[in-house]
Amino acid sequence: MLESKELTKVFGSKTAVDHVSVKLEKGHVYAMLGPNGSGKTTWMKMAAGLIKPSSGQVLFQGEPVSLNSRKHVAYMSTEPYFYSWMTIKDVGAYYADFFEDYSPRRYQALLQRMELTEGMKVKTLSSGMMAKLKIAVTMSRDALVYMLDEPFNGVDLLARDEIRASILQYATEDKLLLLSSHLVEEMEMVADRALYIKEGRLVECVDLETMRSERGVSMADRYRQIYGHTEG
Amino acid sequence: MLKLMKYEFRKTWFTKAILLAITALAEIVYLIGLYGDREGLLATGVFLLMLLAVGGLLVIGLGSVVTLHRDMNTKQSYMLFMTPNSCYSILGAKVLECGISILITGAVFFALGALDITLLFARNGELKALWDWVRELLSSITINGRSFLGDIRLQSLLSVSFSLLAGWLLTVTTIYLAVVISSALLNGKRFSGLISFVLFLILSWGCARLANLISGSIGDYFMLMLVNGLICLVFSAVMYFVTAQIMEKRLSV
Repeated sequence: MLESKELTKVFGSKTAVDHVSVKLEKGHVYAMLGPNGSGKTTWMKMAAGLIKPSSGQVLFQGEPVSLNSRKHVAYMSTEPYFYSWMTIKDVGAYYADFFEDYSPRRYQALLQRMELTEGMKVKTLSSGMMAKLKIAVTMSRDALVYMLDEPFNGVDLLARDEIRASILQYATEDKLLLLSSHLVEEMEMVADRALYIKEGRLVECVDLETMRSERGVSMADRYRQIYGHTEG
Repeated sequence: MLKLMKYEFRKTWFTKAILLAITALAEIVYLIGLYGDREGLLATGVFLLMLLAVGGLLVIGLGSVVTLHRDMNTKQSYMLFMTPNSCYSILGAKVLECGISILITGAVFFALGALDITLLFARNGELKALWDWVRELLSSITINGRSFLGDIRLQSLLSVSFSLLAGWLLTVTTIYLAVVISSALLNGKRFSGLISFVLFLILSWGCARLANLISGSIGDYFMLMLVNGLICLVFSAVMYFVTAQIMEKRLSV
């Protein structure tokens, strides 16, 4: 469903993403793992069409990402990006104006679950509330692909539970979910496949169940093997 | 496109509301001065309204540039560029919203000026006589047998206003191009701001030269203004297409 071919992005003298080729299939929840600065966000932004690749390409359903793919790919940035003058209601109205797959009913349900009210002003939200709002409005779209960059950042344990439940509620067989995070334990509860990115390169893309049964290592163990200084 | 324009307006409405409120205050000062026979207030009102007419157009144009800069260089850029809208639509909405705002502001101040002058003459017959004398004097100034500044008619004033507004729109779209080049092509490079400013100056100079070549031979001053205005609109369209093309091909947010 989503594929990158020899995808590369160079910023000045730094190669953020280095010839990454990977194919992601629907019906799975992928965890994109790696320490800060490993290239996860840059890869996602290229897949969302926000950053132009230096070379290589990203394909959505076999076609290069374009205006059409933006209709079906829901991307959530790790940074807050709503206009500061907006209320939570305005955010929903904005998505309703531009995304055909947006569901106001789903938005209402998610807001209620996240304990957010429509009258709240975006600029007054705490980081935890902002994280919840981003999830609520992104998951209110009935998209084919969801890409959530660091969805658990800056939120407490209980809020994480809410966010995790909200994400999984809509992870149906015809959807592809890609979540990036450095909170490995959190991701282990959600994902069934993992991509390990190191210094812009894809180390491997693995099925977690297969890895556990065949190699006897968990997602976290493998993380330590790849990124740890003493193990591996 | 209309939805994008709606949000462009939402981003700038506060500035416009403030401009409108200050203009209303200045008009009240003018009217109190006029009908209360208080010359000081009248002069203040006239001065403020003239200042607001020029300043208002500047603020609207530059406000639009600031919004574009913010929409490309901060995280709020995702709000635009993750939607299924092409760069042509995104930029087109900005140019149209700015152009319509400039046109409406220009028209409002033109109408307000005409109304205030009419009220002034109705209140003070001597001033009307003075104005008629000035018009007559100007009409007598001729170059090659033709009146130079004389015959001040409505259509003449409109053609000058149109030329000025179109010229300002061209300046704004030229700044758009410079901002986009700075963000899309020179991002992270040293002196990108300076380079794009120099580029803006060169483009403005080039447009002025080209416009002069095209319309320089037109003798009638007011026809010249009209043609100049049209040239500015065509150049604005060219700036828009070049800017949108650069955004489409090169811009990363």
